[in-house]
Amino acid sequence: MGKIFDPTFMIHSFPEVLQALPTTLFIAFVSGVIGLVIAFIISFIRYANIRVLSPIARAYISFIRGTPDLVQIMLVYYGIPLLLKALNEKFGTSFDVNGVPSIAFAIIALAINAGAYMSETMRSSLLAVDPGQLEACYSVNMTRFQALRKVIIPQAIGIAIPPLSNTLISLIKETSLVFTISIVDIMAQAKIVGSRSFRFFEVYIVVSVIYWVVCAIVAFALSRVEIYARRYERKTNS
Amino acid sequence: MIQLENIYKSYKNNRVLSNINLTVNKGEVVTLIGPSGAGKTTLLRLLNWLEVPDSGKISIGSATIDASKYTKQEIRRLRSQSSMVFQHYNLFKNRTVIENVADSLIVVSKMKKKDADEKAEDLLRKVGMADKLQDYPANLSGGQRQRVGIARALAVDPKVMLFDEPTSALDPEWVGEILHLIKKIAAEGMTMILVSHEMRFVRSVATRIIFLENGELVEDSNPKDLFENSRNVRTQAFLHKLTYEEE
Repeated sequence: MGKIFDPTFMIHSFPEVLQALPTTLFIAFVSGVIGLVIAFIISFIRYANIRVLSPIARAYISFIRGTPDLVQIMLVYYGIPLLLKALNEKFGTSFDVNGVPSIAFAIIALAINAGAYMSETMRSSLLAVDPGQLEACYSVNMTRFQALRKVIIPQAIGIAIPPLSNTLISLIKETSLVFTISIVDIMAQAKIVGSRSFRFFEVYIVVSVIYWVVCAIVAFALSRVEIYARRYERKTNS
Repeated sequence: MIQLENIYKSYKNNRVLSNINLTVNKGEVVTLIGPSGAGKTTLLRLLNWLEVPDSGKISIGSATIDASKYTKQEIRRLRSQSSMVFQHYNLFKNRTVIENVADSLIVVSKMKKKDADEKAEDLLRKVGMADKLQDYPANLSGGQRQRVGIARALAVDPKVMLFDEPTSALDPEWVGEILHLIKKIAAEGMTMILVSHEMRFVRSVATRIIFLENGELVEDSNPKDLFENSRNVRTQAFLHKLTYEEE
């Protein structure tokens, strides 16, 4: 038998695990963008307290927060084909139930998940903007929509970015669950490389380093965005 | 110019304004005085529809609105008649000095940016802020912020300007210059309604003083009569309390 820990193997397995990085990044990016759109819509429904929709939005958020990510992925993976089948039978449509790529399920599940968390962030950020700002908008006869666009939303974004970037980073890490629905992301790729050699520890180190680097880069980029979004605030020396 | 009819306003079970009837003519500078909780600020904010009365009717210029039944258009028409200078300035934090003044011109009045900037710059020159056009509010002193607040309120060409304790949040050193500026605008013929505790200023700028207490108009008079010859017991009691700090 060889060494207890094989650093050479570890280093050599980097390129192979990295082959799957585009899949991980693609899932994270697309579900992040869709999640932001969902969050934006939901936060407005809640902020403006729109009848009927607002309680539905609350139920959605409560459900997502109260169930594990893994379960949500399973629900989407097994639920959507059933839904399509039902639609086909009911309306005579011809969706290809088996033709939906797994990656679509992963993106839908993660977007719905991240959207719920981020909508709460956005709503609380809108509420955190000083009410005097809205009054000032009204005092110069802006409409609510104009006030939101010019004053309230830009300030809310500055407040929202730190918690939003937390959610986005969690999202990157949650993509590691998609191997359960047979998508070959870096996690699945690590498992494949590991099982071929039975050197699992080494490949999991590799995969953790990759996640760490990706998350660190995203965190840095978002902190830059935050500095830009809050450029109007007073700088304190510290 | 301004007419309030039978205005009532309560917060939960707390009556703040009770049967307010008031007419203000063009060019008048009306100051609301009275103990805290009297309803001065609420009355002022009603005129800008930042507070909604429970009942009653408000007319400013050509706009009339009835609290029992009104539309969004009526609110906007009422608001277009007046503008407010706030105690805590409420400058748009994410906008520069010039944007604070020009935004409403561009967004509400649909002015071209170039024309709006020109008008904003003129107004900022008038209030002595022309050298800070690109600064953000966070980098200004209190006095500077309030000057921008006044320029922003002037920009909408209001028929009446509303001042809600415009110097109460300021350090003493800035109070004088803001009061001076308000006086200058009043001298140009602007109709104004002020809430202020600066009695000496009130006396010198106001053409008319209204004393409010417990949500009611107690006395409505010219400054000289009110300060020197008030026969109203409640007014006397209020002024008596203030003389301590004046002496």
